[in-house]
Amino acid sequence: MIMHNVTQQPDIMIRLSDLRKTFATVQAVDGLNLDICRGEIFGLLGPNGAGKTTTVKLAVGLLKPDAGRVTIARGKDPRSHQVRRLIGVAPQALALYEELSAEQNLVFFARLQSLTGSALRQRVDWCLDFTGLKERKKDRVAVYSGGMKRRLNLAVALVHEPEVLFLDEPTAGVDPQSRNAIFQAIERLQESGRTIVYTTHYMEEAERLCNRVGIMDHGRLLDVGNVPELLERHGGCSLLTAQTNTGSLSARTGDPLGQLNKWQQDHALRSFTLQPPDLETVFLNLTGRSLRD
Amino acid sequence: MPVVFHMAVKDLRILIGDKMGFFFIFIFPLAIAIFFGSIFSGSSGGDGSIAILVVDEDQTDGSRAFIATLEQAEELAVTRLDRQAAEMRVRQGKSTAYIALMPGFGAARQRVFWGGAPRIELGVDPARKAEAGMIQGILTKYAVDVFRTMFSDRDSMLENITNARNAAQAAPDWQGRDALLALFADLERFVYAQPAGAESEDAGGFNGFKPLEIENVPVLRKRKWPTNAYGITFPQGIVWGIIGCAAGFGISLVVERQRGTLLRLRCAPLSRGHILAGKALACFMTIIAMSLVLLAMGRLVFGIRPNSIPLLALAVLCAALAFVGIMMLLSVLGRTEQAAGGIGWAVMLTMAMVGGGSLPLFIMPKWMQSVSSFSPVKWAILALEGAIWRGFTPREMAAPCLILLGVGVVAFTIGVRLFRWSEAR
Repeated sequence: MIMHNVTQQPDIMIRLSDLRKTFATVQAVDGLNLDICRGEIFGLLGPNGAGKTTTVKLAVGLLKPDAGRVTIARGKDPRSHQVRRLIGVAPQALALYEELSAEQNLVFFARLQSLTGSALRQRVDWCLDFTGLKERKKDRVAVYSGGMKRRLNLAVALVHEPEVLFLDEPTAGVDPQSRNAIFQAIERLQESGRTIVYTTHYMEEAERLCNRVGIMDHGRLLDVGNVPELLERHGGCSLLTAQTNTGSLSARTGDPLGQLNKWQQDHALRSFTLQPPDLETVFLNLTGRSLRD
Repeated sequence: MPVVFHMAVKDLRILIGDKMGFFFIFIFPLAIAIFFGSIFSGSSGGDGSIAILVVDEDQTDGSRAFIATLEQAEELAVTRLDRQAAEMRVRQGKSTAYIALMPGFGAARQRVFWGGAPRIELGVDPARKAEAGMIQGILTKYAVDVFRTMFSDRDSMLENITNARNAAQAAPDWQGRDALLALFADLERFVYAQPAGAESEDAGGFNGFKPLEIENVPVLRKRKWPTNAYGITFPQGIVWGIIGCAAGFGISLVVERQRGTLLRLRCAPLSRGHILAGKALACFMTIIAMSLVLLAMGRLVFGIRPNSIPLLALAVLCAALAFVGIMMLLSVLGRTEQAAGGIGWAVMLTMAMVGGGSLPLFIMPKWMQSVSSFSPVKWAILALEGAIWRGFTPREMAAPCLILLGVGVVAFTIGVRLFRWSEAR
């Protein structure tokens, strides 16, 4: 069962406490506090350069924070070998040996996790099947499409059956078909009870996949909550658009019917649309700029 | 340890899949060794002698005797040809030089006290002046040999005096001829007073005369020369292969960092030592495999017979460890693949050129020969040659091997200490 209210469920899988990281003069992560529960898919939503990847690198121990602390699985250091066996990482930049086949990549990374014999074989076969790469498992990765490489990138992160999965923009640069395959794979992983940290700058992905979303910008976590909570707090009014004989009218309003009646007094309305607030609106309201700026 | 092994196997798989990398590590050194081995074999007799073409335009007993002497000479590998064919071969660069014994050569050798000297024409490839100089020296040596024969053999001496006197008498009158004829008469009386026959061991009188006595001291204990020219070029080929391995694996660490696979390795339960040891093991295994391939080819196809297999194994081991260390150091010098590749090959080529990997050390200026001691390439070649044909004792092998090990340890330690997971910390 996924718990959204962390104060009621103390089973914290990942805890980031007052995390700070600076590169030269750029404050990449600025006082970030976050708890992520076991079995939760947590989305870090923000534009490029918001600090999402740096946060992931700090969380998995690839970067040392300037200040603050990261603990995983009940207070353990992410750099310990024990925790490394618990976590899987699919980096934003594809991290694969292109000279090797998909199968050879998976076997290699599985062996690094001390898998051997039939257990290794089973996990490799499962990953190939799970990501739909079984038919092409003997091909060199260099000849794969971008989408196939992304799926293999995910498969390598899964090969040792980690409890915690960090997916850093796992759909970057892939075609819609592969993106959909990755969504379905993540939904299946969610059903298996894994804890997943998912970074993206696509609000549709966050809305579709994540139990909770953290809105990030300039290294700061602006707000955290499930999508309805965020919409309620920062979504504002729906966007009402109407077509008239002479053109179109639009307005943000909390009373769409009242607004339509008001417009009808002065214009001959032909049609109208009502667009409820989304995470894009939330981000806009929180930062004053668009996710894609 | 299994993790280190898996890391190394992964790198070897990548190497095998990389056709260019495979070529430069396994095929290129072999090609160098064979190519230069065959060139040196072509310009020499294959046993260290200089190949030379001989044209006999005199066709006398004297010229034939001189050619027979040259054919017996250890320093030369003589091929008799006519002038046209000999000139053609030198012009085409197939031979270094030809010598033509000019008409009158035999007669001139029989009257050394009077008349013109025996004439030899030396046709030389202008690009190979050094070898031409050596040939001139060798010819002079055997030409002067006629004096040794003459002064140590009474009959030969008398024949020369007679020939010279006849020639002097036949020549137009000139001031001093009477004095010369008187000298010949006195000399003839003196020679008649000597025992008849060829030279003896007796050093008195003319007997035992030698214009210069040179004693050859064998510098190489067991074998004077390598079995053939490949004995020289295969150690160089192996060292070039080792250089290729070190440069290639040095780049591979930077490539891993750039491609992000190093980041993924860091996410696995591995230490920095595991990853660097895996890279070092892959480099080491490749060097050993390449060396074995070249040595096997050298033994089976090109007839190289190492003096000592255990010492050869020691030499290969020490050279491998030295260059694994150098690989580790090179891997941390460049931030990008291009920079690492450029730095790696610049360092390696400099070490190779200074250390005798390209040109033999003995033709370098003295100061360069002194500088070469700082190049591990020199010590690697010396160790390999020491085991293959120089006939080094274990004691003599100690110096190059210890230097190589020292270089390896120092370079590896510095490389590991300078290693960074990423450019941004």
